[in-house]
Amino acid sequence: MFKSRIVLAAAAMIATLGLAGCTATAESKPIVIGSQAYYSNEIVAEAYALVLEDAGYTVDRQYSLGQRDVYVPALEAGEVDLFPEYTGNLLQFFDSTATVTATEEVYAALTNVLPDGLTALEMSPATDQDSYNVTADFAAKNNLVSIADLASVTGLKLGGAPELAERPYGPKGLKSFYSVDVEFVSTGDTTVDSLVAKQVDLANVYSADPRIQQLGLVTLADPKGLFLASNLVPIASKAVDQKARDLVNAVSKAMTAADLVAMNVKSVTEQLTSSEIAGAWLVEKGLLK
Amino acid sequence: MEWFLRNSNFIFGLATTHLSVSLLPVALGSLIALALAKFVPRKLVTPTNGLLGAIYAVPSLALFVALPALLGTSYLGPTNVLIALTIYVVASIFFSARDALAQVPNSANLISKAQGLSGWQHFIYVELPLATPGLIAGLRIAVASTVSMASIGAVVGVRNLGYLFLDGFQRKNSDEIITGLVAIFVIAIVLDLMVWFLGRLLTPWAKKQVRSV
Amino acid sequence: MFSLEAVWQWFTDVENWNGRYGLWNLLGEHLLITLWSLLLAAVIALPLGIIVGHFGKGQAIVVGLGSTSRAIPTMGLLFALVMLLGVNFREVAVTLALAVIAAPPILAGAYSGISAIERTTKLAAVAQGMTSWQLVWHAELPLAASSIIGGFRVAFIQVVSTVVLAPLVGLGGLGFGIIQGLALRDFAQVTASAIVIVLLTLVGNQLIGLAQKQTRVGLDKPIRGN
Repeated sequence: MFKSRIVLAAAAMIATLGLAGCTATAESKPIVIGSQAYYSNEIVAEAYALVLEDAGYTVDRQYSLGQRDVYVPALEAGEVDLFPEYTGNLLQFFDSTATVTATEEVYAALTNVLPDGLTALEMSPATDQDSYNVTADFAAKNNLVSIADLASVTGLKLGGAPELAERPYGPKGLKSFYSVDVEFVSTGDTTVDSLVAKQVDLANVYSADPRIQQLGLVTLADPKGLFLASNLVPIASKAVDQKARDLVNAVSKAMTAADLVAMNVKSVTEQLTSSEIAGAWLVEKGLLK
Repeated sequence: MEWFLRNSNFIFGLATTHLSVSLLPVALGSLIALALAKFVPRKLVTPTNGLLGAIYAVPSLALFVALPALLGTSYLGPTNVLIALTIYVVASIFFSARDALAQVPNSANLISKAQGLSGWQHFIYVELPLATPGLIAGLRIAVASTVSMASIGAVVGVRNLGYLFLDGFQRKNSDEIITGLVAIFVIAIVLDLMVWFLGRLLTPWAKKQVRSV
Repeated sequence: MFSLEAVWQWFTDVENWNGRYGLWNLLGEHLLITLWSLLLAAVIALPLGIIVGHFGKGQAIVVGLGSTSRAIPTMGLLFALVMLLGVNFREVAVTLALAVIAAPPILAGAYSGISAIERTTKLAAVAQGMTSWQLVWHAELPLAASSIIGGFRVAFIQVVSTVVLAPLVGLGGLGFGIIQGLALRDFAQVTASAIVIVLLTLVGNQLIGLAQKQTRVGLDKPIRGN
């Protein structure tokens, strides 16, 4: 009588482990494409994925991999083969002392500093870099066109993710490049909302963020090159062959900054999936039938 | 609602990952905790309690990130989250397992000895069945906590239902966040009921009512 | 990556203790949010638990709430409420979310503490002439105190660990060090912040545990003084 109970309990355990194991099985596929935990980045990754699949490659999507500390080692170890990145930010990740800021120079520096086994493919004209923004009202009130104009404004509050406090283009950079004093306020994922709610005066917003257009934010010009240019660039491992690279490069070159913003707008306003958005854009550009 | 219907495939995929990331630690962790509860000598119980309690207090996010550094495990994939969640399950079930085993009446031990049962036989045929209600209760709590804690794994790249919170917040999609909340809650409740049912199956004597003659 | 020395150096750097996002301020914020949410949760959960325990009605709901509450994904709740109430009310939103997480254990502690009191004890109190209100205030609450405090203990641990996520929605608290450290690859900062959080949890747990012990009434032990 007891035996059957034991068997039942054991069966339940095995069933649980089996269920867990089954659902966790990963099939091994040729090209592993990763993305950041950022919907815009995922759209670009999906564009690569769709184009490669259309050409007959099998693709394993590993999206939303989180921070660079998490996925760059994976890239280096060959666990991820293809990843859409941003030239300037990735350069800073590998070389925090980099001082170049112009587009071509950043790309050149990046190719130098990438570890063996990883290659930066063709840079896209599309950019998505950090930028300082203010509300239209604030800009009008203080006559702001470039970051330099902030030097005359007092009591400035800067909003951004926690790490902005220590970034070279954060408060320290603002002070040394433009003599602008700011008080840093950590806003996490609520940065844009906080800016609009006037809880901060200045906010670090990605240049491809659709809300800049939607909310009429003013991006301040950066004549002294505080921010590194950050263009979209596919990073590929050795596992990506030349044919695949050509396909991905075609996608990269076809994407303009306006395209990227438009796709982001679609994601936020219509809440479509990255697959739907990337697919539609690829068809529009003739890269997919 | 519309968003949910349009993305149901995607959500289903996330849910599957979520299940596997939650169930494996529960199964493994409860086995380890039971073994520990049974075999840790009395003297070591308090320090073990203390150590497990300290680990349990470590915020899940910190543990998820610390493990690759400490253990050299791969950054990719749910391995770190799995290990961390297993540790949490062990910590949470160890206490209740000890309690459950401790409340087995001593008379049962004496009777087993009198009947000549070996240590193993006593454990499997007498102790475990008598401790089952307490073990099941602890298991239910561990299941609920693990299912909800697993969602934080999304911050370090595990593609489970927690992703719906991050993405939903970034894109201001309240449907997405609500879907995540409901899905995780439903999964936790369903699993809880299943464990409860398992408990009932394993202890048929609990159902029988004493009828007066 | 993990170096004890680096962590020690981080702790001994004064810069990390001062300022808006220094450890002192973060610790204070963390405690403040925790206390406010425990208070809010107590205001609702304590009376509710006492009422259910005293009148013996509605146990099913309480027990059900107790086990299901652990299933609530904390991060999702935080995001949902902040999105709902907007950034202007983010502190309120976070406090509310935390209170939702803290309420069930407090409720369970109050309910089980009061319902565990022997019927004979209550009858004895009534026989002495206590009114219902006196019964609750002078008999039931003191006897249930240990269990109630036990409920707060569980709530405290859960809330402290959830506040770690607060920086994601633009608040402070000790989680700031973890989130900033992760992004900056400063693992000394991450580890140090984690250590402080663990210490806070353990110390709080011990202190509340002491209070719990002090208020425990051994109803099966002989009355002292005899």
